[in-house]
Amino acid sequence: MPGHRVSGAPARPFGSSTRVRTAWTERNRQEQLVYKLLLPVFGTVFVLTTIPFILALIQAITVEGRGFVGLENFGRALANPLLYESLKQTGLYAAIVLPTEILGGLGIALLVHRTVRSNVVRAAIYIAAMIPIVIPQIAVGVVFRLVYAADYGVLNVLLGQTGPSQPLWLSSPPLAMIATASVDIWQWTPFVYLVMFAGFQTVPSESVEAAQVDGATTWTQFRHIELPYLRPLLLLVLFFRIADVIRVFDHVYVLTGGGPGTTTQFLSLYIYRIGFKFSDLGQASALAVVVMVAMIVFYTIVSRFLPADRG
Amino acid sequence: MTHRGRRLTRLATTVLLAVIALVFAFPLFYLIATSLKTKADLFEPVPSLFPPNPTIDPYISVLFTRGFGGLLVNSIVVGLSATFVAICVAFAICYPITRLPASPRLRRFVLNWALSLRFLPPVAVVIPYFAIVRTIGLYNQLPALIVVYAIFNLPLAIWMLRGFLDEIPLEIEEAALVDGASRWYAFRTILLPLSRTGILAVVIIVFAFDWAEFMFAFILTATPQAMTFPVGVQGLVTQFEIIWNDMAAGGVIAILIPLSLMLIARRHVMSGLTFGVIRDK
Repeated sequence: MPGHRVSGAPARPFGSSTRVRTAWTERNRQEQLVYKLLLPVFGTVFVLTTIPFILALIQAITVEGRGFVGLENFGRALANPLLYESLKQTGLYAAIVLPTEILGGLGIALLVHRTVRSNVVRAAIYIAAMIPIVIPQIAVGVVFRLVYAADYGVLNVLLGQTGPSQPLWLSSPPLAMIATASVDIWQWTPFVYLVMFAGFQTVPSESVEAAQVDGATTWTQFRHIELPYLRPLLLLVLFFRIADVIRVFDHVYVLTGGGPGTTTQFLSLYIYRIGFKFSDLGQASALAVVVMVAMIVFYTIVSRFLPADRG
Repeated sequence: MTHRGRRLTRLATTVLLAVIALVFAFPLFYLIATSLKTKADLFEPVPSLFPPNPTIDPYISVLFTRGFGGLLVNSIVVGLSATFVAICVAFAICYPITRLPASPRLRRFVLNWALSLRFLPPVAVVIPYFAIVRTIGLYNQLPALIVVYAIFNLPLAIWMLRGFLDEIPLEIEEAALVDGASRWYAFRTILLPLSRTGILAVVIIVFAFDWAEFMFAFILTATPQAMTFPVGVQGLVTQFEIIWNDMAAGGVIAILIPLSLMLIARRHVMSGLTFGVIRDK
């Protein structure tokens, strides 16, 4: 099981296996069948996923009772200083968790790849690393409430600080950021580990051996032989993790609710607050549209590096 | 490196890995320990690491006294229905692009479209969905969640299924077609049985994702009639006075289902999380 395979999505030439019936009419008939089968279902789903975009846009340019208001909602959304506060905190969160998770996961993968030879131990680490990943975010929030909460949290118990002067991990500004970020690191470093460990298995052993014969040090071997194989995976992990940081909601909602103040009011929590706590659906829709457009731009750039293009 | 040096490195690595494992495992250990404590244990001046009088009362309290059993049923109904819908739709989309001579451009378009949905933050779409669901009178109803979950896990289902279907040689079906069988017959008697393991893996992983979803359920439901289990667990946390043991028991139950499912389908979890880029043998 520790033997992973990184698939380059084998593209099969469709023509090769249909040569039995080379008649053009047959081929055309099959191509028509593609559309006949695909269109009804794909069309329906496509419409269902596009409606929210259009509806968000309509909500963003109208106000209930007043009708069309142009870009007023956008103006209010972009003039709100809390938006920039939220973007700043989201950026800070990303700046803490992304490098830690990627370097940590890569480091552990390198360590295990170089030193653990037993397949049983490798399989055990594989299973163990999967556990945090499959835990629902809400439950992760519960787990870390029990770690960080004042008076009952195990961290302060272990630190021997349960009195009135104990550190308030979830309700004092810099600590709440560290606490929520640590949860992300706890849950997603193992994910990076698994992807990177799979990546190490794809490095051809001949090149590694050749380098060792040439007297390459551990570092040069990593830097010049293994890293090039890992680079596409590192990019992929980075893209997935960026998308995930933008959607961070559940565990923060359980742990701090976005507080104290705006310390952990990350983008998703901010939009939620505008839309459902302040019931300002116009402004929230404007934000949603901005986020959708930003993600479309992000995805367009990212998709060049993703396997979809190889499909 | 000398023999002794190598042994030292080995020891240092083992210790380091053990420490990392301990740090990662400890919070889960404390969750389980807390979920086995009695009400009286919660008032110890310093919370103990091991439950002094282990009991399963918190689990009974969560499932029966607090009525979370009903939420559990909601979660399972929503998860199973949404998974079923997602798999059927994914099959209808994957079949033509993997088994028929679809143009590479069409294939790329469909796959790219699916992947792009994965990058969409749910909070951006929850606002329009909230409006739609309220307008058509499905607010606080399970069908609303079923449809939303089916749509949101469709990309994953498409990508995983496409990976499995790509591995089944086209020739097998074609042999039957040449012998005069209809496409539908070949699909039913050849492709479907051959992709059974793949379908099972997709079902398990999509169900686990449905099970864990929180934001849509939180916003689109209001009463236990339609709430899912994670929404209930969240309610245990933010109440004025937190009942630690019940909260922990709720957390353990929420973890147990996806964890056991993922252990069954462990060979496919990475494929599910990375959209088939990493595949386990």
